[in-house]
Amino acid sequence: MSLLTLDRASKRFGNRHALADVSLSVASGEIVALVGASGSGKSTLLRLLAGLEAPTSGRALFHDAEIDGPRPEIGVIFQEPRLLPWLSVADNVGFGLAHLNAVERERRVNRALDRVGLAAYAKTLPRELSGGMAQRVSIARALVGQPEVLLLDEPFSALDAFTRTDLQDHLLDLWREDRPTLVLVTHDLDEALVLADRVVLLAGPPGRIFAERPVALARPRERTSAAFQEEKRQLLSTLHAARSGRIYEPEVLEVP
Amino acid sequence: MTTEVTSYAAADQKAVAPCPAGGLRRLARVGLGLVLPLVLALGWEAAARTGVITTHLMPPPSTVAAHIVQLFATGEIWDHLVATLTRMALGFGFGVAAGTVLGALVGYLPVAHRLLDPSVQALRNIPSIAWVPLFILWLGIFETSKITLIAVGVFFPVYMSLAQGFASVDRKLVEVGRVWRLSAFDMIRRILLPATLPTYVIGLRGGLGLGWMFVVAAELMGASEGLGYLMMDGQMTGRPAAILASLVLFAILGKLSDFLLVTATRPMVAWQDGFRR
Repeated sequence: MSLLTLDRASKRFGNRHALADVSLSVASGEIVALVGASGSGKSTLLRLLAGLEAPTSGRALFHDAEIDGPRPEIGVIFQEPRLLPWLSVADNVGFGLAHLNAVERERRVNRALDRVGLAAYAKTLPRELSGGMAQRVSIARALVGQPEVLLLDEPFSALDAFTRTDLQDHLLDLWREDRPTLVLVTHDLDEALVLADRVVLLAGPPGRIFAERPVALARPRERTSAAFQEEKRQLLSTLHAARSGRIYEPEVLEVP
Repeated sequence: MTTEVTSYAAADQKAVAPCPAGGLRRLARVGLGLVLPLVLALGWEAAARTGVITTHLMPPPSTVAAHIVQLFATGEIWDHLVATLTRMALGFGFGVAAGTVLGALVGYLPVAHRLLDPSVQALRNIPSIAWVPLFILWLGIFETSKITLIAVGVFFPVYMSLAQGFASVDRKLVEVGRVWRLSAFDMIRRILLPATLPTYVIGLRGGLGLGWMFVVAAELMGASEGLGYLMMDGQMTGRPAAILASLVLFAILGKLSDFLLVTATRPMVAWQDGFRR
C-alpha cells in the first residue's frame, strides 16, 4: 500500500504554474529522490507532501487521508538548518516536544543528539556550529519526533563535498535503524544514486514527472564502483532520451 | 566525526581563555566615556572662578553639586524622587503593556495591521505635548493625566518595534513553527517574540527615553512634587542651581534606568551573532 500519494496534483502561485498534474506514490520504507533543475517544481512537490502548501487541484494523501497541514508523522528537513538562534542545540532539538514532561523530553533529545554524534554540543548556541554540524542538529530535530516520513529539501546542497558525502552516509545509517520513508529533493545525481531506491525525474515549469527509474544497486553503495558509474551513465541517458524526445526544452535539465 | 568534535572543543577553550590585562582594559574603556563630561565640567568651573561667566545665572558645577548634596542632606529630595519614579514606573508599565499587546496583534494578524496601523500611525504624528490640555480636561490635573501622558509616550516605540519587528522575522523560521504545528499564541511566544527581542529591547529603550521626556512635561504642567516641580520652583524663585541640580538628577536617573534595562535584557539577546557583541 502506498504511504504517500499525489493524485493529479497541480499547484499555481498566482500566474505561475509550479506543478502540473503530478501523480506519484511512495511506499512505506522507500527512499525516493526527486531530481530536476530549478523550476521543475520538485520543492513545491515536497511542500505539498509536507502540508506546507495545499494543491490548487488534485490531492495529496498520507495513508489515504488528505494532507491538510503539517502533521507529526511527517518530518521536514530544509536546505538550511533553520535552527532557532536563541535556543541551545538541545532546546532546538526538543522544540517540538513541548507536550512531553521535562524528563522524557531530555531523554529523547539526548538520544537524538547521540544518534547524530553531537551529544557534547547540547548546550551550544547555533552560531558556534559549522554548517555540517548545524544540519546534523536539524536532522536530530526532525528525528526526535520519530516520524514515519522524512521529507528532505536539498538538505546537503549548501555543504562542501566532504561534509556532504559524510552526511549522506550518516543519513543512511540513521535510516537503517528504523527505516522511515524518505523523500529527498536533490539536483545531485550522485546523491540520488547513493541514497535512493527510486529516482523520479522532473522538468518544468510547469513541473511534471517525465521519467522514473529504480536504482538497481546493492547497499551499501560505493560511489567509485563500476556498477555505480554504470547506473549513473544509464540515468544520464534516460535524461538525454527524455531530451531528444523533445518533451521538454534541452536546457531545462541541468546535468552535473 | 569524532575528530571534528574534539578540534572544535579545543578551539572553544582557547577563545574563552581570560586575557590578563582584561580588567584594566575594561576600566579604560568605561573611563573614556567620562573624559568629555569631566573636561567640560572643569572648563566651566574654571570659567566661573576666573569670572569669565556670571555665576548667578550659570552657577559652576561645584555650586550645583553642593545644592544636590543639600537636597539629600535635608531629606527634601526623597518625596520628589519617589513622586517622579512612581509616575515613571506606572506610565512605563502601562505604556509597555499596551504597546506590546497591540504591537504583537498588529504584527501577527494582517487584518489587525490593515485595521489599526493607519490610525496608530496617525496618532503617532501628534506631538505628545498636544495631548496635555485634553488629558487635563478628561482626567484632571492629578496623577491620572500625568501617568497617561507618560504611557502614551512609551507606547509608540514599543508598539512600532513589535508591529514592524514581527513582519521582518525570517519566514523560514516561521515555517519551522508551522512544521511543528504551533498555535497562533505559541507561534508568537516561541518564535516571533524571541526573534524580535533585539528590536523589542530597542523599542523599550526608546520608550524609556520618551517616558523620561514626558515625565518632565507632565510635571512642568502642574505638580506639587517631583523633579520637574523642583525645576519649575527653581525658575520661579530664580535659582538656576536648583534647575541644574534637577537636570543632573534626571540625567543620572535616565542613564541608570537605561543601564538597568540593558543589563536585565542582555541575557535574552546574547544569542545574536552580531557585528559587536
